Amino acid sequence: MKLIVREEKANTGNIMVNGYNLMKIRSKAIPMLRRTMGIVFQDFRLIPTMNVFDNVAFAMHVTGAPTRKIRKDVSAVLSMVGLGNKARSMPNQLSGGEQQRVGLARALVNKPDLIIADEPTGNVDPTLSYEIVSKLTEINKQGTTVLMVTHDHNLVRDFQHRVIILENGQIVADNAAGGEGI
Amino acid sequence: MKVRSVKYLAGEGIKSMWANRLMTIASIGVLVACMVLMGLAVLITMNVDKALGTLEQQNVIMAFFNDEISVRYGSASVDYDKLEQDTSSTSNENEENKTDAIPEDAYLIHNEEEALALCDKIEKDIDNVIKVEYFSSEDALKIAKDRYLEGQEGTAAYLDGSGNPLSCGAKITLSDMSLYNETLTSLSKIKGIDSLQSHAKLADTITAIKEGIAVAGFWIIAILLIISLVIVSNTIRVTMYSRKLEISIMKAVGATKSFIRLPFIIEGMTIGLVSAGLSMGIVYFCYRVATESIKNNGTFGMMEVIGFSSVWHLVLGIFVAIGILAGVLGSAIMISKYLKKEGSEFAAI
Repeated sequence: MKLIVREEKANTGNIMVNGYNLMKIRSKAIPMLRRTMGIVFQDFRLIPTMNVFDNVAFAMHVTGAPTRKIRKDVSAVLSMVGLGNKARSMPNQLSGGEQQRVGLARALVNKPDLIIADEPTGNVDPTLSYEIVSKLTEINKQGTTVLMVTHDHNLVRDFQHRVIILENGQIVADNAAGGEGI
Repeated sequence: MKVRSVKYLAGEGIKSMWANRLMTIASIGVLVACMVLMGLAVLITMNVDKALGTLEQQNVIMAFFNDEISVRYGSASVDYDKLEQDTSSTSNENEENKTDAIPEDAYLIHNEEEALALCDKIEKDIDNVIKVEYFSSEDALKIAKDRYLEGQEGTAAYLDGSGNPLSCGAKITLSDMSLYNETLTSLSKIKGIDSLQSHAKLADTITAIKEGIAVAGFWIIAILLIISLVIVSNTIRVTMYSRKLEISIMKAVGATKSFIRLPFIIEGMTIGLVSAGLSMGIVYFCYRVATESIKNNGTFGMMEVIGFSSVWHLVLGIFVAIGILAGVLGSAIMISKYLKKEGSEFAAI
């Protein structure tokens, strides 16, 4: 994941993400690469001093989007993740699942080509896990690539998507049809 | 960067100051203390410089020429080289007027014309001399009577007769006090000057005080400037620490370095400018109280103090410059350290 978001640089090989060659990318272009993707974190990473709306709008301010567009798009994406009525709530007033949906909204708001979800269900209960993965599936169906990392075997089994299994940094299986068979 | 982004970031910077208000107030307090000390150091230096400048202007060297009076009273210089041809001829014409005590090789000033020529020569030959004013032996006597013989009519009357012991000479004004001793040496080598009345010790003292104040002022300002930088850096470090989550998210969603940097720089600058404004008020108050006290003081009452109205723009300029410098530099130093870190590394800070 760190290689894909260019937090780290690979020693060998080639990594191409959304048209960027990560072996040759200049440091000034890294923010532009990251704007083509949305990241969902296991620990939500919401800013506790900002309400739900501002947490999502924050990702748009970074790109220099106009205020009117920010208002419109943030409201739309919050409705999409089912938090339209929680826009003024603070993160500590939300449940774990709701906080993760705010994180998801923040990742989606700039309409990225790729969503990277780093164990998005790691800190929520099983019911909410299904809810979050369902939401990611929905986003995927709308044309956005979703790359999700998980240790939850039940989720992998239940949602039939391409599964790549890594062991000690090596790919040991790549099942296009889904499932965990090696 | 777009204007709306700058507006947004300025707002974030101000919000951050409010969120860390205790640290902000502490920083402003220490920064104000530094700036007030700096401001007072500058004002004191300027006033001392002015006072010494006035002393400098008043400081002159009195040169008494080698004339018949100096010979008569036994102080004529006799070690000069032989007289130049034209001067010799003048001397020969007036030979009958010479007393027996006049040394043959003395370079004598016989009349006002020669004395004025010597004044011109002094002004022309010595760079540090800005003005040479001739005085006759009668002028010298008048000054001496006014200064020292008030109420001693008998002595004054005697001196008015043929007993005037003072030679003619010149009042020589210098431009640079630090070259006082060199000028004195140069003057003593000029033919026709019998004796020099100077204040070399005073000149040395003034020069030493001026140099001492300049050095002390420089170090005070330099040290306080470094302290200011450290204070602002520290505040920004605390702010950075409290906002490390925000910074990591900013980086993850594609914020550029300048976007991350700007709120901190605005915060630093605001701290600096608020401190500058407060310091200005405090310095104005302190200076006003000090000048009033000096004016009402018997000993220093005559001292001419620089009015705050003529220096306020300079003091404000210094404060604003220091505020911005400390704010921008202090934050920039701290941010550059943190900007090198990537998202997950922030958790380890």
